[in-house]
Amino acid sequence: MTTQMLPIATPAQSRAWLGAELRARRLPAANALAAGLLAACATVVPAYALGLLVDRIHAGGDTAVIVEIAVVIVVASLVGGTATAFGNYLIARLGSTILAGLRERTVATALRLPAQILDRAGRGDLLARVGADISAIDRAVAEVLPGMISALLLAAISLATMLGIDWRLGLAGAVAFPLYALGLRWYLPRAAPSYAAERVAIADRSQLFVESMQGTGTVHAYRLEDRHLAGITAASAHARDISIRVFALYTRFIGRINAAELAGLATILITGFLLVRHTGVTVGAVSAAALLFHRLFGPLAMLMVTFDKAQDAGASLARLVGVIGMDVEDRSPATGPSGRDLRLDGVSFSYDGVHPVLDGVDLLVGAGQVVALVGSTGAGKTTAASLAAGILRPTGGSATIGGVPVTDLPAATIAIVSQETHVFAGPLAEDLRLARPGASDEQVIAALTSVGAYPWVRELPDGLDTVVGDGGHQLTAARAQQLALARVVLLDPAVVVLDEATAEAGSAGARDLEEAATAALRGRTALVVAHRLTQAAAADRIIVMEHGRIVEDGPHDVLVAGDGRYARLWAAWSARTM
Amino acid sequence: MGGNAMLRRAVARNGRHLWTGTVIAGIYQIGAALVPVLIGVIVDRAVGTGDPAALTVWVGVLVLNFLVLATCYRYGARHLQRAIAEEGHRLRVEVAAKILHPRGVRTDRHAGELLSVSTTDADYTSFFLDHIPRITSALLAVGVSAITLLVISAPLGLIVLIATPIVLAALNKTGPIIARRVAEQQEQAGRATSLATDLVTGLRPLRGFGGQQAAAERYRQVSRRSLDATLRAARTQSAYLGASTAVSMLLASGVAIAAGWFAMTGRITVGQFITVIGSAQFLIEPFGTLAVVPSWVAAARASAGRVASVVRAGLILPEATAGPTAGDCDLRLEKVSHGTLSELDLHVRPGEFVGVVAARPADAESLMRVLAVPDGYDGRILLGGVRLEQVERTEARRLLHVEPHRTDLFTGTLASNIDVHDADAGRLAGVLRAAAADEVADLHPDGVHAPVAERGANLSGGQRQRVALARALLAGPPLLVLHDPTTAVDAVTEHAVAEGLRTLRHGPGTGFGTVVLTGSPALLAAADRVVVIGDGTVTAEGTHAALIAGDDDYRRTVLR
Repeated sequence: MTTQMLPIATPAQSRAWLGAELRARRLPAANALAAGLLAACATVVPAYALGLLVDRIHAGGDTAVIVEIAVVIVVASLVGGTATAFGNYLIARLGSTILAGLRERTVATALRLPAQILDRAGRGDLLARVGADISAIDRAVAEVLPGMISALLLAAISLATMLGIDWRLGLAGAVAFPLYALGLRWYLPRAAPSYAAERVAIADRSQLFVESMQGTGTVHAYRLEDRHLAGITAASAHARDISIRVFALYTRFIGRINAAELAGLATILITGFLLVRHTGVTVGAVSAAALLFHRLFGPLAMLMVTFDKAQDAGASLARLVGVIGMDVEDRSPATGPSGRDLRLDGVSFSYDGVHPVLDGVDLLVGAGQVVALVGSTGAGKTTAASLAAGILRPTGGSATIGGVPVTDLPAATIAIVSQETHVFAGPLAEDLRLARPGASDEQVIAALTSVGAYPWVRELPDGLDTVVGDGGHQLTAARAQQLALARVVLLDPAVVVLDEATAEAGSAGARDLEEAATAALRGRTALVVAHRLTQAAAADRIIVMEHGRIVEDGPHDVLVAGDGRYARLWAAWSARTM
Repeated sequence: MGGNAMLRRAVARNGRHLWTGTVIAGIYQIGAALVPVLIGVIVDRAVGTGDPAALTVWVGVLVLNFLVLATCYRYGARHLQRAIAEEGHRLRVEVAAKILHPRGVRTDRHAGELLSVSTTDADYTSFFLDHIPRITSALLAVGVSAITLLVISAPLGLIVLIATPIVLAALNKTGPIIARRVAEQQEQAGRATSLATDLVTGLRPLRGFGGQQAAAERYRQVSRRSLDATLRAARTQSAYLGASTAVSMLLASGVAIAAGWFAMTGRITVGQFITVIGSAQFLIEPFGTLAVVPSWVAAARASAGRVASVVRAGLILPEATAGPTAGDCDLRLEKVSHGTLSELDLHVRPGEFVGVVAARPADAESLMRVLAVPDGYDGRILLGGVRLEQVERTEARRLLHVEPHRTDLFTGTLASNIDVHDADAGRLAGVLRAAAADEVADLHPDGVHAPVAERGANLSGGQRQRVALARALLAGPPLLVLHDPTTAVDAVTEHAVAEGLRTLRHGPGTGFGTVVLTGSPALLAAADRVVVIGDGTVTAEGTHAALIAGDDDYRRTVLR
């Protein structure tokens, strides 16, 4: 199967999204800008005032003027501090609020993407977007954005002030800006691939490391220590070499920033020299311009070196905006089904549009009946189960419950439990409540009890509140699957599909799990893909599939009595007990 | 060896790059400190006087100063980066080597923590090599500016040198509050991220019970909490930023006003006045560096301590003292007590295929654990007559291969996972067939060269099991211990595997010993002999057929 990337927004789409978000928050955005501008102005005032002071000193004026200038500077400092605080906070608040909305929409969309799209794109891409991309923007907004915006505003105001002092001094300082821009144009195209390569190298290193750590038992058993260590060493050395190379690039970029600083400063001083000699411009004006410009060194360098972080955040933003623009499945119609019988009528299905996986499958599970689906690997059982559960849409024919297409029914009508288990990280009771938000502890306990899980849940360190899943208490595959069945009981759907739900249990847990499955199916219409034939034997009817078609259909006793595929499977299954 | 020793070693073994870089970075810092001084000199001697010769000379000096500082930054920083990157790399390799040590490392950290020790902590430890030049440079910058100020005017210099550290020290009192808020913000953000990735990882099961909406709502709540924490941190940081902006502006202004008064009263020149303003402004940065240095060093020391706790951790197994007697390689457990096992006796002779049935899963796990890592047990485990823990590890594992039930596959191909020693390509086909792994290879156009994703995530549980079994069979150890090798495969395949195991390892003239811990009748039926463990010790023994016929408990345990 080829993997297709999830969509990435174009720069125009990202800008449009950002524009819309800002328009929806006109007032906060205007306030943030106003506070930022005020802060920048206040920062510039002292340098300007001190320039005036230089002239007074030259003129040998009255020392009383110092008092006026001191008052101006002190007021500017206080206003500047206050405005900086407000500006910084308002910008951070605006950015984080917009970001919170974006990440929530991204996750909500991601969770509702159609199964087929997700299968085609692979989960890795989506995981990277809800994980790494959101974190990247998060950090950029919290750490980089306010500083960048205030640096930009300060640069703009400083330049305006220098132009105001004397337009020629302003222009002299402005000489630096194209050089800064050239530095960025030199650096960014080189830095982006280098940083990307560095991230890949670090990810490779981590992957090798984690694999070896998690598989230490196997590494030891096969005496692969040296080989794995050599792999990790090589990956780590590769990451090291790239980081040294990337840094060399960075130092050359800093050199270009220094060149821009020198050019601006020297031009201001030389222009100032000429202006003082040939026009009425004062030494104070030249001093003020030079000091203003020297003050910009730090903020501008910060702006330059964070530019690539901003660019990275922009790339992540495009990947998130790409997700929120995707079509999602909507399964929240008002009406429920009228009946509880599950029916596939002439269902055909193909993943790639060329090779059919199912071909004209007719299948009926009467209300309250349990039907088992058996057949060899690749017969199309899982596909049939997914179609019955509404996770896939048939390419031909229809899958209905009570006559209504399953994909049009509320999600709570039907549940499917597959071989793939997942324990949702967090308190165990919260895992179950995903199936039914707001369920009481009693309801959760009842559900656990009915699948036989409560005895061991009670024994966990914190009982129902024990943190399970990733980073918490580890549950065996069999227990994880019991939880999955308990979720079904809590959800209480009319129809249940089990797709090899008991396969991963291991011989010791298989019987418990089958009993749990039986309990979860009680009173429901059920389609069960079984690989342990004892499970099939207990069903009301058995359907045998081969190459995407149904080849046998009937009760266990009838099929065993015949000489078809099921009779042969049963013979092999029975033989294992001899 | 604790964190401090780790840091000392980092300095010692990267000395050349570290000290070269530090000296060059110091020169850079002096250059940067001289910029405001030169601005003052140029205004004073050239702009103020209109002397073109002075302008040429001093602008020339300014250019030269920039050349020196830019060149020094470029090469000094590269030396330092080399030292930092090299130290981080060496620490990572040391951590990995320790964890992979054949004798096993004593640590209770799980894989995620170990990864963070090998990345974050190794990095933070190596950053100590960055702190040294920063401290040196900051001290140099303070020194140069201090001398400049003192030369221009002793009172002014003293005001700056006394007031600046006091103001910065006061501002840094707020450091812990900010650090706490930021940590809280990062924790909440991390929580939101891990919830999102957890939900997407479990998306298929989630979709199975229609939990998407509940999951999105749960994420929204966590995201809002994260937003609240971000805003709290932003409020604190902004307040600090505002206060520090105001205070440093006031400080610089105070100095400027005092200098202005000195200038007006003729005690210093205009150029010196400008130099004072520029230097007072410039000094804030190196003073700030010196103020936060203790917290950096503390972070580096804490990380170095964590790295040391792994690198210096003890090993589980003792050093080998003996090799087993060559030739007949049997495995004998005598009165072994470990975990739930209690005085277990078990003897596997060369060439024997033994099934072991453990009524309690914990007994099987204890047995697997003690065979893989023979530590912390009573009784004796003898491999070819020699205590197992005294046999050299590599040799012990070549002779006695214990294949864990939880299969670990590695990124690569089916072939690279099965033929781990690149040695037995000729036997590959036969082994694949015996483990029923040929079906796995046949599903992919590339066959045995089909890619395997990280931890075998692109294969089903049953496929992973068969690949791992093929790997164990290809290794062909004289003694092989398997644990529930067929739990995720169907009945027909299980039969084929039992047959394959028998044929491959117990055909004529092979002489291999095999132990399978299992409850599978198909595998037990293929064994020469079955040993039943109940309550940690042997409760029954015999052939599968005899036990089925004569032992009700056995029948109930095995026939489900």
